[in-house]
Amino acid sequence: MAKIIRWICEKCNKKWIYPISRCLYCNGEIKKQIGMKIKVIGFTRIHIPCPPHPIVPYNVLLLEDEYGNRMPKKTIKDYNIGDTYEDIPSKEENAIAITKIKYDVYEAVKEALELIGDIEVDRTNKILIKPNLSIPGYPYLGIGTHPEVMRGLLRYLIERGANPKNITIAEQSFFFPFDKAIAKSRINQIVKEFGVNLVDLSKTEFIEKKEREFVFRVSKIVYDFDLIFNVPVIKTDMLLGIDGAFENLTRFLSKENFNEFVRDIKKAIGALAVLPNILPRFITIGDGTIGMQGNGPAEHGEPGFYNMIFAARNPVVHDKIVQEVLCLRRLPYVELAGKLGIGEYEVSKIKVIGNELDAVRRDIKQPIGSKLIKKD
Amino acid sequence: MKRYVKGVGMTKFSVESRTTQDMAIEAISLALDDSNLNINDIEAVVVSTVDTKVNTERQRHYPAVLSSLLKRKMPIIRVPAVCGGGGAAFWTALRLKYNNILVIGVDNVLAGPTPIITKEIMNAGENLWEQEEGLNFPGQNALVAQQHMLKYGTTHDDLALISYKNHLHGSMNPKARFYGKKVTLEEIKKAPIIASPFNLYDCSISVNGAAAVVVSRDKTDIKVIGSALATDYLPPFERPDITTWQSSVEAGKKAFKEAGVEPSDIDVAEIHDAFTIVELISYEDLGFCKKGEGGKLVRDGYVNLDGKMPVNTSGGLKARGHPISPTGVAQIVEIVDQLRDRCGDRQVNNPKIGLTQNIGGAGGTATVHIFRKIAG
Repeated sequence: MAKIIRWICEKCNKKWIYPISRCLYCNGEIKKQIGMKIKVIGFTRIHIPCPPHPIVPYNVLLLEDEYGNRMPKKTIKDYNIGDTYEDIPSKEENAIAITKIKYDVYEAVKEALELIGDIEVDRTNKILIKPNLSIPGYPYLGIGTHPEVMRGLLRYLIERGANPKNITIAEQSFFFPFDKAIAKSRINQIVKEFGVNLVDLSKTEFIEKKEREFVFRVSKIVYDFDLIFNVPVIKTDMLLGIDGAFENLTRFLSKENFNEFVRDIKKAIGALAVLPNILPRFITIGDGTIGMQGNGPAEHGEPGFYNMIFAARNPVVHDKIVQEVLCLRRLPYVELAGKLGIGEYEVSKIKVIGNELDAVRRDIKQPIGSKLIKKD
Repeated sequence: MKRYVKGVGMTKFSVESRTTQDMAIEAISLALDDSNLNINDIEAVVVSTVDTKVNTERQRHYPAVLSSLLKRKMPIIRVPAVCGGGGAAFWTALRLKYNNILVIGVDNVLAGPTPIITKEIMNAGENLWEQEEGLNFPGQNALVAQQHMLKYGTTHDDLALISYKNHLHGSMNPKARFYGKKVTLEEIKKAPIIASPFNLYDCSISVNGAAAVVVSRDKTDIKVIGSALATDYLPPFERPDITTWQSSVEAGKKAFKEAGVEPSDIDVAEIHDAFTIVELISYEDLGFCKKGEGGKLVRDGYVNLDGKMPVNTSGGLKARGHPISPTGVAQIVEIVDQLRDRCGDRQVNNPKIGLTQNIGGAGGTATVHIFRKIAG
C-alpha cells in the first residue's frame, strides 16, 4: 500500500516531485506515476532530535520503486537494504491509518481509506459528510475542515461509484451564521463543483435519543444515510484539549441540547463519551492538513502544519491516536469512552497503519487553557 | 572577465554571541583596510545572510540594515542561497557594472540549543518529502555517503582522514573555531554517531561570523579567472545519481573552461565540507580524480597541506566553522590569503592558482571560483 508518487509528462516523460498542471518543455499532459513495489536501498539512523522529530534514534530509509523513483521515509523499525517496504491494510475496528500528504491531499485521503480496508459504495448509497465548519475561517487558518480534504473525499467516493446527488454535506454553527462559515471555508465552492447537497443542521428536525443518564436531541436526518463520514479538522481546543472525532459529533445535536451539556463540565465529559452510541456507525477522517495548536480557535491558537490524514472506523481509536501524535495530555472523554467499551483506548492494542506512531509524534503548542485536562 | 580582488577580511568564526551588525562592521573594516579603501569608495554591496528565526534579530530586510550601518544609500542587494549564499553573492557581484563592490556574508545562527538549530538548518531541505520524514542535513548526507560506499567501496576511514586533515589545518588558523585544538584520528573514529554512518566529526560545526571581500575592476595581484554558478534539484533523492552533485560538476566545468586551466593546475582549494562526504564527492565532481576515487585521493595525501593540492587549509567548514552564508566568502578570504602568502603555519608553498567551491543545501546551488596570483 505504500506509494511513491511522481508527476510525469505523457509526451516527454519528464518527472516532477510536485503536482504541476502542464509540461513546460512540450506542453504535454501530466499524469501521476504511482510506484507500489518499493524496496529499501539505503538507510541512516539519526540521533539528533528536533522539534518535529523529538524521539531519537529514528531511521530514515531511502526507498525506490519499480520506476526508479525514490523517497526518504522515517521509521522507528530497522530495515536492511533490499527489504520490501509495504503497509498491510486492516478493516479492524481498532485500526487507524495515518498518511502523510506529499502535496496531493486526494492521494493521502485515498491511501488512508484504502489502509482501513477501502469503502464499498454504489450509486444508490446515501452518504453524509460532516465537516467541522463551526467557525468562519479561511482554509489557511486551520479552523475548519480543509476544502482539499473535502474535495479528495468526494473524488474518492465518486470514483467508487457514488452519485453526487446522494451525497450531503451537513453542518451547523452554534455561534456564527452558517452561510458565513460555509463561504469563508470555501466549502460552498466544493458543493457547487461536485453538485452535492448542503444542509444546515440547525434547520433540520431534532429527535430525542437516550443513552445512559443523558438525553440527546439529534438531527433526524443523521439516520437517513447509509454511510457517514465524520471529517473533523485536527485542532487544539482550550476546553476539551482537542477537537477531533468526538467534538465534531456535537453539531449533530440541537444548539439548546449542546448548551445544556457545556454548562456542566462533568456532564459534558459523560455525554461526549457516549454520543457515538446514539449515532449510526461512521468513519472518521481526521483532517491534519492544516490544523491548529495552542489554545485553538477560541484563544489565539495558531495553525499547525501537520500534513497528515487520519482514518479510523472507531472515534475512540481516532482521538486517542491523534492525542498521542500531538503529544497532548490525557483526554477525559476519550478515556471514559474507552472504559465504556465504545472503542479501544489502549495504545498498545491499537493497530496504527501507514506510518508508525512514534515516527509521527511531534511537539506542538499545547492548549494550556483546557479545563478538562487532568493533571498527571 | 576582468575582475580582481582588492582586499579581504573576516571575523573569527566562533560560538560567541555577537550581533550581525557588529560582526559585519568588523569584517567590512578589515576588508576595506586590506583594500586600502574607505567605505565611500564602495559603489555597491552584495550581502548574503539567512533569515534565521533563532536569534534575537529576526531582521528580514538586511540590505536596509546595511544602509543604516554603513550610512550609505548605494545599491545593496541580498543574495540568499543557504550555505552557498556567500559564493552566490560573490558570483553576483562579479556581474555587476560597478567598480568597487563589497561582498559580505554574515550570520548569527548559533543562538539556541542543537535541536532548534538542527530544525532551522533543516528548513533548507525539501519540506514535505524530506523535512516531514525527519531527514535533517546530517541524515541527508549520510544517505549519500552510504550510497557512495555501496557503489565505490569508500570507507568511513576515508572520511575520517578528511576530518583529521581539516582539523589539523584549522588548528593552525587563528580565525578558526578549532584554532589551537588538535584532534587525533582515534578521537575522530570513536566519536558518537550522529546519523549513521556519520559520527560527530563527519559534520561541520555551526558558528557565528562574518566575512567580506572587495571586488574591483581595478587591477590587483589577485585576478578572478573563472566564475560559475549552477543549480540542481533540491532533494538528492530526485536526482539520477545520488552520489554525484551535478551542480558542482556543471559549475566546475564552466569555471575551468573560463579560466583556461585544468584541475591539475590548482595549487590550493577551499571545498565545501559541510560533511566529510561532500568534500570527497567534490574531489570527483570537480575533476581532481575519477568518479569513485575520492577516497584514494585522500589516502594518497594529495589534499594534505604537504600534498599536491592542499584542500581546506583554513580548516574548512569542519574546523574553521560553518556560519552558513559567510562560509563562501570566508573560502575566498582563505584563498586570497594563501595566494598573498600570509597564512603563517598553514601557508602552502608558493601557490599561483586557487579554487573555491561553495554549496547551498545538498548540492542545490554550487559556485566555483578560480583565482590567479598575478603581478599587481
